[in-house]
Amino acid sequence: MSDRLVAETFVELADTLVDDFDVVDFLHQVTVRCAQLLDVSAAGVLLTDQRGALRVVAASTEQTRLLELLQLQDDEGPCPECFHTGRPIAVADLSAATSRWPRFAAEARQIGFVSVYALPMRLRTDVIGALNLFGTEPGALDEDTIRLGQALADVATVGLLQARAIRNRDALAEQLQAALNSRVVIEQAKGVIAERRHLDMDQSFTLLRGTARTSNRRLSDLARAVIDGSEIL
Amino acid sequence: MAHVCEAAVAGVGVDGAGVTVMVSTTVRDTVHATDPVAGDLEEWQLTFGQGPCVDAFNDGGPVLVVDLGSPDYSARWPAFTPAALDSGAQAVFALPLQVGAIRLGVLDLYRARPGPLSPHELADALAFADAAGMLLLDGAAGTQPDTADLAWQRDDPTAHQAQVHQATGMILVQLGVSAEAAFARLRAYTYSSDRRLGDVARDVVERRLRFEPDPPSGGKGEQ
Repeated sequence: MSDRLVAETFVELADTLVDDFDVVDFLHQVTVRCAQLLDVSAAGVLLTDQRGALRVVAASTEQTRLLELLQLQDDEGPCPECFHTGRPIAVADLSAATSRWPRFAAEARQIGFVSVYALPMRLRTDVIGALNLFGTEPGALDEDTIRLGQALADVATVGLLQARAIRNRDALAEQLQAALNSRVVIEQAKGVIAERRHLDMDQSFTLLRGTARTSNRRLSDLARAVIDGSEIL
Repeated sequence: MAHVCEAAVAGVGVDGAGVTVMVSTTVRDTVHATDPVAGDLEEWQLTFGQGPCVDAFNDGGPVLVVDLGSPDYSARWPAFTPAALDSGAQAVFALPLQVGAIRLGVLDLYRARPGPLSPHELADALAFADAAGMLLLDGAAGTQPDTADLAWQRDDPTAHQAQVHQATGMILVQLGVSAEAAFARLRAYTYSSDRRLGDVARDVVERRLRFEPDPPSGGKGEQ
C-alpha cells in the first residue's frame, strides 16, 4: 500500500466528519477503505446493542452472505471474543479454527474466506464493537497492516462518537442505539427498493447510496423518505 | 401496557414509567403512567412540545438525563425542565419505541434522585422498550399477542436479522401500506404459521412468499 493512499484515506474520512454527517454511511466508507488499504477482501463493523449481542452496522459490500456471516457473530466468532477481551484476534488460517468456532469457521470458509481478524473499537475503558476483516489467502497480516487496521478502527470509533459530542457513558449509549436503529432504516429501505425495482439487496443499497451521494443527502434521511413514500427510487 | 410499565418500574429500578404514543411530533397521546409524577412528565412534554421524550422520538435514540438539575437541561428544555423538577423528577430516561423507520412512541422512566442507569439497568430498560413497542405495533394492527407470544418472540434469535427489516420493506410495497402495517402483517403471519420471524422473512426476501392486499381483519399473508 502507498503512504499517499493511506494519507488520502484519513483526509477523506476526516472530511466526512462534518456537522450532521450520516453515521452508517461513514462506517460503510471506513469498511470499503479497509478492504482496499489492508489488502483484505471484505470488512465489517459490529457494535454492541448494550444487551449482550453484537449487531452489524456496516459492511464493505452489502452482499447478503457477508451480512449473514457478520451477524452470525452474535454468539460465536472472532468479534465476540475481541469484544469481550478488548484485544485483537487474528486467525491466519481458518481451517485451524473449526473447533474454536464450528459454525462461523464453516460458513466463512464456504464463502471463500481463509483468514480473519477482529480489531476492537475502544473508547477509554469501554469496548463498543469490533472491526472485522476477511482475507481469501491464508497468512497473517504483517504488523504494520494490523496497526493501520487498528487506526481505521479508531477512526470508526471517533466518527461514531463524534456524531454528537460524547461527554460520558450515557451519551455513548444514546449514540450507539441511534446508529443501530439507522442501520435498520437502511435495511427497510433496501427492501422497498428491491421489491419496487426487482433488484437484489446489494444492488438496492448501491442505488440508495449512489442517489444519496449525487443528491447530497444523508443516507438515512433518503432511506426514511423511500420508506414513507415521499421519495421513489 | 400498564403491565409493561409496572414491570419496567420494578425491573429497571426506577420510581415511575409512562408511555406516550406519537403519531407524529404534533399528534400525541399518553397511554399509561404508573404514578402522578410520571403522568406529569408526559403532560409537560405534550403541553410544551419539548423534553427528553420529544427528542428521543425525533432523534431516534434514547435520551438519558442523569441529572435534570444540571444547567445543560434548563437550557435545552427551558419550559419542561423546571416543571419536571417541580413535579419531583431528578433523572429521566426516554427510550424510543421504534424499529428503524417505524416510530411508535416513547417509554419514559424517571427517578426522584439523580444518577445514571447501570449498564445492566440500561439493558433491561431497552428490553422493556422493545416489549412496549411490539405491544403498540400489534395492538394498532388489531392483532393482540398474548403474553406467551411476547415471551416466545423475545427468545426468537432470528428477530433481529437484517432480512426481517428487508422483508418489511418488500411487504410495504406488496401491500401498499406503511412500514408499521407491513411489519405488523409479517409478525401476524409468523404467529399464525407458528414459525420464526427470520425464517418467514427469508422466504419473503428470496421471493418464495408474497403478501397480497386483503381486508385487514384477517391479518394473514398468502402465497
